[in-house]
Amino acid sequence: MLSLDFLDDVRRMNKRQLYYQVLNFGMIVSSALMIWKGLMVITGSESPIVVVLSMEPAFHRGDLLFLTNRVEDPIRVGEIVVFRIEGREIPIVHRVLKIHEKQNGHIKFLTKGDNNAVDDRGLYKQGQHWLEKKDVVGRARGFVPYIGIVTILMNDYPKFKYAVLFLLGLFVLVHRE
Amino acid sequence: MAAAAVQGGRSGGSGGCSGAGGASNCGTGSGRSGLLDKWKIDDKPVKIDKWDGSAVKNSFDDSAKKVLLEKYKYVENFGLIDGRLTICTISCFFAIVALIWDYMHPFPESKPVLALCVISYFVMMGILTIYTSYKEKSIFLVAHRKDPTGMDPDDIWQLSSSLKRFDDKYTLKLTFISGRTKQQREAEFTKSIAKFFDHSGTLVMDAYEPEISRLHDSLAIERKIK
Repeated sequence: MLSLDFLDDVRRMNKRQLYYQVLNFGMIVSSALMIWKGLMVITGSESPIVVVLSMEPAFHRGDLLFLTNRVEDPIRVGEIVVFRIEGREIPIVHRVLKIHEKQNGHIKFLTKGDNNAVDDRGLYKQGQHWLEKKDVVGRARGFVPYIGIVTILMNDYPKFKYAVLFLLGLFVLVHRE
Repeated sequence: MAAAAVQGGRSGGSGGCSGAGGASNCGTGSGRSGLLDKWKIDDKPVKIDKWDGSAVKNSFDDSAKKVLLEKYKYVENFGLIDGRLTICTISCFFAIVALIWDYMHPFPESKPVLALCVISYFVMMGILTIYTSYKEKSIFLVAHRKDPTGMDPDDIWQLSSSLKRFDDKYTLKLTFISGRTKQQREAEFTKSIAKFFDHSGTLVMDAYEPEISRLHDSLAIERKIK
C-alpha cells in the first residue's frame, strides 16, 4: 500500500471517531448554510449578498453588495435596485430612472445602468417596457469592495471552485481536531 | 511455528493469516478482512510532528487509553462521546431540513420554516458548547471495571488531560469512582512532553506506560488500604 503518512491519523481512528470527522465536516458546511439562510430571513431578500458586474463609477466589478428587501419601503427614483428579469437567472444591479405610481400604490419603473448609454428596455423581456415590484430582489444598503472577485473567478472557472472545495473538504476530513 | 506466531499475540486481528509474521501485511488474507488489516495500523508506533501541540496531546491521550484498556482490561463506556455525536447529528439534521424545504418551496413561502431551522441550529450549537465545557470537560476516556463477583456495581475510571498551547507540560488526571461507596479519588501527574518523545516524533511507550501504571496503582492501592 502507498505510504500516505497523512492518513495515519485516520487509520488509527475507531468508528466513532471516523463518524465524528464526517460530522465535523457536516457542521462546518451547515454553519455556513445556516448563516446564509439566516441572512435571507432577516433581510427578506432571497439573495442577500450579490456581486456587482458593472455600475461604474458607483460600484466596480467584484464589489459585494448587501441587500434588504422590505416590501413596505417605497421605491424612489435614484435608488439602486437589484432585480431579476423573468426567465433570466442573473440579477442585475441598476439605478431607477422613472417611476409611474398609481393611487393604490402599484408601481412601474424603468432602470438604467450608470455606465450604460441607454436605459434597460433592451434588456427586458420581449414586449416588457417597465419593471414591477415583484421583479425586485432587493435594494442596496451597503457594500464591500473587491471581495467579490473570488466569486466571479469561481464562476468563470468552475474547475477551480471544485478543486478548492475538494481540497478543503479533504483537509477537514483527514485532520484530527 | 504457526502456533507460536498466533500465540505471539498481535492485536491487529490476523484472522485469516496465521502463517504471516506481521499483522499489517497479510498477503494471503481472505479478501475483505485482509484489506481491513492493511488499513488498521494499531501496532505501528505512533509517529507525529513533535511541534504540533494538538497531535502530541492526541497521541498521549490515545496511548493512555490503550494502556488502560489493554493492560487492565477495562471496558470503555461511550456515553459521553455518544452524547456529543447525537447533538451534532441533530444540528446537521436541522440544516438538511432547511436546505431541502427551501429547495422544494422557493424563498418567500419557506420563511417561517427557515427561521425555525436557523434558530434551532444555533440553539443546538449553544447546547453543544455547554455540553463540551461542563459535562465532558477534558475527559477523553470513561472505563468500567466489571466486578468479578457480579454483585456490586462497576467501578469507573476516568481519564482527562490538558496541554496548554505552546507549553510543554502535559497533565494527565486519573479519577477513580468506586461503584460501591460512590467515593471519588483522583491522582494526576504533570510532566514535560520531552520525556516521552524521541527527536523524530515517535512516542516511546516504554517510558510512558510505567507512568500510567503508577498512577493507576496509586489509586488502586489506596482502595485496598481503606
